[in-house]
Formats: sequence, structure tokens, C-alpha cells
Amino acid sequence: MKKKSRVFAACMVVFAVALAGCSSSNQPESSASSGAAGSPSNGAGDKKIAVSAMDFFYGDVPPADGRGVKMIDEKFNIDYQINFIPQANYDDKLATVLASGKIPDIVSFQGGDLTNRYHKFAKQGAFAALDDYIKDYPTFQRIPASVLDQFRVDGKLYAIPQYYPRFGFTTVVRKDWLDNLGLQPPASYEELKQVALAFTKNDPDRNGKNDTYGMAMGASINPAFAQGPYWDPTAWYHKDDQGRFIPGLISNARKDVIQMYADLFKEGAITRDMATLNWADTNKEFYSGKAGIFIGTPRGMSQAYMEGLLAIDPGAEFVALDMFQAPDGSKGMLAGRGFLGITTISAEAGKDPAKVKRILDMIDYGRQFFPDDQKNDKNPDFDWLNGNVGQGYDMADGRAVLKSTAGTEGLYPQEYFVDSTAWPEKDTDVNYPADYSNPKLSQLTSEIMKNYSAMKYYTSPNNRVVSETELAKGADLTKYLYDEQTKMIAGQRPVSDWDKMVEEWKAMGGEQLIQEINANIRIKDAKEGWSN
Amino acid sequence: MNGSAWQDRLFRWGNAIFLVILAAGMLFPFLYIFSVSFTTFDEFLKSDFLLWPKKWVPDAYLFIFHSRSFLRSLWMTVYLTVAGTAVNLIFTSTMAFGLSRNIYGGRAITFMVLFTMLFSAGMIPTYLMVKMTGLLDSIWALILPAAIAPFNLIVIRQFFQNIPGELYEASVMDGANDLTIFRKIILPLSKPALAAFSLFYAVGHWNTYFAGILYLNDPKMWPIQVILRQIVVLSDPKNALGAVEQVLLDVQPPPETIQMAAILVATLPILIVYPFLQKHFAKGVLIGSIKG
Repeated sequence: MKKKSRVFAACMVVFAVALAGCSSSNQPESSASSGAAGSPSNGAGDKKIAVSAMDFFYGDVPPADGRGVKMIDEKFNIDYQINFIPQANYDDKLATVLASGKIPDIVSFQGGDLTNRYHKFAKQGAFAALDDYIKDYPTFQRIPASVLDQFRVDGKLYAIPQYYPRFGFTTVVRKDWLDNLGLQPPASYEELKQVALAFTKNDPDRNGKNDTYGMAMGASINPAFAQGPYWDPTAWYHKDDQGRFIPGLISNARKDVIQMYADLFKEGAITRDMATLNWADTNKEFYSGKAGIFIGTPRGMSQAYMEGLLAIDPGAEFVALDMFQAPDGSKGMLAGRGFLGITTISAEAGKDPAKVKRILDMIDYGRQFFPDDQKNDKNPDFDWLNGNVGQGYDMADGRAVLKSTAGTEGLYPQEYFVDSTAWPEKDTDVNYPADYSNPKLSQLTSEIMKNYSAMKYYTSPNNRVVSETELAKGADLTKYLYDEQTKMIAGQRPVSDWDKMVEEWKAMGGEQLIQEINANIRIKDAKEGWSN
Repeated sequence: MNGSAWQDRLFRWGNAIFLVILAAGMLFPFLYIFSVSFTTFDEFLKSDFLLWPKKWVPDAYLFIFHSRSFLRSLWMTVYLTVAGTAVNLIFTSTMAFGLSRNIYGGRAITFMVLFTMLFSAGMIPTYLMVKMTGLLDSIWALILPAAIAPFNLIVIRQFFQNIPGELYEASVMDGANDLTIFRKIILPLSKPALAAFSLFYAVGHWNTYFAGILYLNDPKMWPIQVILRQIVVLSDPKNALGAVEQVLLDVQPPPETIQMAAILVATLPILIVYPFLQKHFAKGVLIGSIKG
């Protein structure tokens, strides 16, 4: 017995030594690379610098040695090693790589990591502070202060946010159905309810069959059909009787919306199996011509779905609703966080200002915004980013069209930038409707864009607050509310139980959450959260 | 007498009907996947539930086979499965053979094998080991760390031990050394067991997914399951709450028809292997378990 335990102990020692050996063997490696990149005195631009990067990726990942990478190497005089990981597995891989001790020079974090890992690592000094650099770069200057401030940890900036528009979704209604029934596009929840009921009962598609209904809805009461922050389940807009901000999910405005859904559900005007329907199937309810009310947004609508619907019902027309006027007089939209990913530079790379500059040069270059009339082969920057005309893309009818293999074969440099989305001056500068070749989709999205261009935005005050309860239990707490509210819609729990539900939620940790968030909220009144 | 025959028949019929329903339940999803992969997208949208398309179109398959990354990763997976299974079989059978003989220190080695079975290292230590041995970014990172599955090793060892000792003695008398015994006596006698375990190993390699992302940085080397997951997951809203905005990104969910075609193409090859190995299968798995 004794002998065995000694063997075991010996194994452990060997193992520990092996581990130590590993982490120490990393040291010379990384210092060597930064050493090679160092000595900026004798012309930093001449020296080839090794730059490693790690980023998450949606869709087909391009090969690590594609033509685009070679073009980047040449242009910026670097040895660029980019490691793309499918988005769904990014968190696991990130955890492993960070634990292995060698952090790549550039690391992307997903938006949700802002108050989690980004914050934690920034506090531990894992990233290079970028305050001194950003003023030199035009595309970093464009980031609104309200967005950028979210990334300050102890007053210092450690990240460059990746562009994502602030706007969200609006409700889209079948216009041809409204016309058939002689109805106007709804401008309030009461009118929306009447339209949903009429779509269910009055045969809006005039085919003589009772085969249509109102709102397409799936699991987690998604989409939210929030026509303003007043009703938005994710906005911290309302206050409780103690004067504290509370999440939209437990507000009285939400209760009224749930009551309306419950009434509609009873009449069959909401998707029957909404409790279990996934997002793809929820889309199917609308795009198969069964439901008449869904959501839309300028960016990222599905052309395949739209063409499917138009094949079934060629006469389909759509109208996007304006935000509703709230009882408190406000009218506008809940602002998204205004970014999608977070780009950081490791503290190790940060020791060498020349290297940081080279990296930022590159990131800045990839974020250039071009208006439509400059998206062609005459513009050398655009031409380079898209892999040169004839090789990465072709010009057709004055529009640049990427070659079909450009993505999977990595033919153009833009694909390889960690941050490859242009940062426009204004959200509405981007011409999303031009992305769709389908005329009806193009028309619908330009209608939405027109509406959004005069939009007022509400920034939820909890956005950049770090809360331990949120990190530990946030997902469970939110899920609880969605589950209970789903039961209320389906009639399994009376809506009159609302206050009881809120109390239960508070006891589970919601009270703690409200306290932690409110302790760090900087505005006194929701009115201060509005901006253009 | 008559009564019991009647009951017997009833039971057999009832049993048959029950099993047919059960089998239909198992086949149903496959039929659904198969049918959807061949329909037009608007027919899929229109119909509530689809079991036999009105119009057959191969568009989804054309799309998949047009994508070079899909075929490339399919090839990688075939390569990984063949090479990996070969390595698995060689290492597992030779080590099992060694342990089945009464060699000095055999018990200690067996103990260590059992130890790794119960206490396996986590993801990060394994990653560090793969990195230190320089296997990162090589297909061998998916093969060597899992060259021997301890459980399979133990079962095969058990199987070897059940081969009558007289065979060894007779071979030694005839002048055979260990290698000859292994090659000429043991392996031919163990075909059923090896067939069964090669299937276990092969399915494991075929389904390699996370290890691919973890150890291989070049997407060119990723196995098919990674690509498949990309195709399928993109249309799923990650069930996470409030993740709506994450869903409607630049990348559109590939229509379901393409998803289904991808699932079929990625599953079919390994399914086809089953019938060929099946005759060995039941025998092989059971054989280690009966002791006389």
C-alpha cells in the first residue's frame, strides 16, 4: 500500500515538473518573438513582425494560408497567423488557449464577454492599454463615446469594439392582408391585437379557408415585438416603488403585453406551439404564409425565406411598423450595445509600441467605410480589401460581386481581418437594402431604414454594469421569467399571478441583481437615457 | 394445448407489430431527413410535415458538393478514420496481447491503464501535452492521444486470455516466437473481436468534432462534423435568451434542405460500414464476457 502511494506521489511530481517545464518553455519563445519585433529605433517599418490572432467566425472558415493572408503579410510587412474558430465553440477554445499561457497578440471576445472575461482579464493586466493610440486612427475616432466608455476598466481602454448597428427589430405586417380586410397598419398594441384577431378570423388571404393567424412566435416569447423601450423585455426602463430601475421583464408594461398575448393565444392568434418552437421554425410560420405578423430589420434578412414565401404567395406585400407612442409620451427604440465583438491586444505585444502600431494600422485599415459609389475597382483600397478585381471579385453592372469561391478559398484580405466590418459615421450610412437582390426585400428594408434614420434611441443603463449575480445566475433568472410568462400566455398560470412571479424571481436572486445593478447605474431618470 | 398455441400466435403477432412500430419510429427521422433534402425550399415551407416530396430536386446536394470545404473535410474524416482505426487496432491489440501473457509488472501496467480510465486528464492538461509534444496542427493530434481506449484494451485482453493456453504451448514447441504467435495464432482467432472494436474506434473517429477545433488551427484539416455543425447550428437561435440579435447576422441560416442533405452526406458513409461488420459484431462484443 505504502509503495503504491509513493509511486503515485512520484507520478504527481513528474507531472508537475512537466507542467512547469511547459509554462517556462513558453517564456523564451514569446520573448524571442517580441525581441525580434523590438528595436524599433532602426526603422520599424522594415522589420517583419510576427502577429498571431484568434477570432470567432460565422459560416465557412477560410484556409489559414489563403491568398488573402499573403496579401496582408505583404502589405503590412508582418507574418500574420490568424486562427478562426467556429463561433459555437469559441468559448471553449478561448478558455483552453488562455489557460495554456500563451495568449495570441490579437484576441477577439464575443459581446457577452464584456462584463465577464474581458473585464476580468483587463483587471489582471492581460491586455495592452490603447488610450494613447486611438486618437491617431480615423475609424476609432468614429466610435461614439457612449459605446467606447463601456470598455473602460479602471479608467483605461483595452479594446476596440467591432461594429454592429445600434438599431434592432421592428414589427412587420402583411400589407396585402391589411388591404384585403380594409385595415390600417397598427400604431398601438390595442390596434395590433385587433389586427392579429382579424388575421385569424376574417380570412385575410381570401382563399376561403381558415388557415391563417396573427403573430408568429417561438420559444422564449421570441420575437419580443417590442415597439419601444417602454415594452422591451431587455431594457431597464421602468422603476419600482422604491425608485430603483428594474428589468423590463418584470415591469407592469410587460404584464399588459403578456395579458394581450394570453388573450390572443386563447383565440388562436399566436402560434399554437410557441413554447417549444425554435427560431428556424418560427420563421417558417411567417414565411410559409400562415402567420401575418413577424419582425424585420435592415441587416441580415433571409433572402431564401423571402423567396420561398413569394413562390407560395406572389402577391405578398409587407409594411414595417413605426415604434409606438408609449403612455409616458416617449417614442423610440432600445439601442443595441453598438458592437458585436471586442478586439484586444495582449499585454505582451503591448510592450512593443511599434508592434501595437502595426497591428492597429491593420485593424484600422480593415474598418474603412466606403459609400456605394466608391465600392468599385477604381478605389484602390476597396480593390485591395476584396482581393483585386478579377481575382477576388468581379464587376457586374457597376457592382462588385465576390467570386463564389472567394470565401471558402480565402481569396480576399478583408475576410482575414479580425475586425472586418466597416465602421460608418452613422448607422444609416450603410446601404443595407442594396445587399438584397430580391426587390420586395430591398423595398421593405429601405422602408425600415427610412423609418430608423429619424429614430431616437434609449440606452439601457445596465449596459456596462458588472454584476456578480448577473454572471452567476443571470441566465437562470431570465429563463425563469420567460418560462413563467410562457405559461401565462398558454393559460397554465393566470396573469393575475404576476406579482407572485416577481416575488419568486426576487427571492431566487433577482433582488440581489436589482441592487447590484442600481448601485452602479449613472443616470437618475430614464429620460437621460435617450439620444439620437 | 390449442389455447396455448393461439396465445402463442397472438403474442408473436403482437410482438411483430410492436417491433415494426418501433422500427418505423427509428426510421422515421431518417426518412424525413432524406425527403427534405430532396424537396424544393418553398414546398418545405408550405408543408407542415413532409414525408415524400412532390417534386424531387438535387439542388441541395449540388450546393454541398460545390462547396470545396465540405468535400475536403469529408476526405479528412475518411483519412482520419482509416489511419486512426489502424493505429488504434495495432496499439490496442499488441498491448492487450502483452498484458494477456503473464509478464513481469503486468499488474502494475494494468493498474495504470485502469487509472486513466477512471481519472482522465481534463481538456487543458491534454491540450498542454499535445502542444508540448509538438502535435498541434497535425492530424496526429487527433489520433495519438487516444491511440488506446482503456476499456477496449481490457476487453480485448480478456478475449486473448480466453484463448486456450495449449495453443501457445504448442506453438512454442514448434519454435514460434511471440511475434509469430501473435500474428499467426492470436490475430486470426480474434477476427470477430477486432472487427467489433474497429467499428467502435471508427465511429469514434468519424464523430471527431471538438478535438478538431481544439488542436487544429487550419480549417483545411477540420473533420466533417465541424462543418456539419456550422451548417446546422447557424439556423438555431442558440436557445440562449435574448440572443435574437446574434441570430440575424450577415450569415444567413442555410435553408433546411441543405442542412438535411449535409446531415445525410456526413452520416451515410459510416452507416454503410455497419452491415459489413455486423456478422462479426454481436459475437465479438459478447465473447469476452462468457467464461467457462
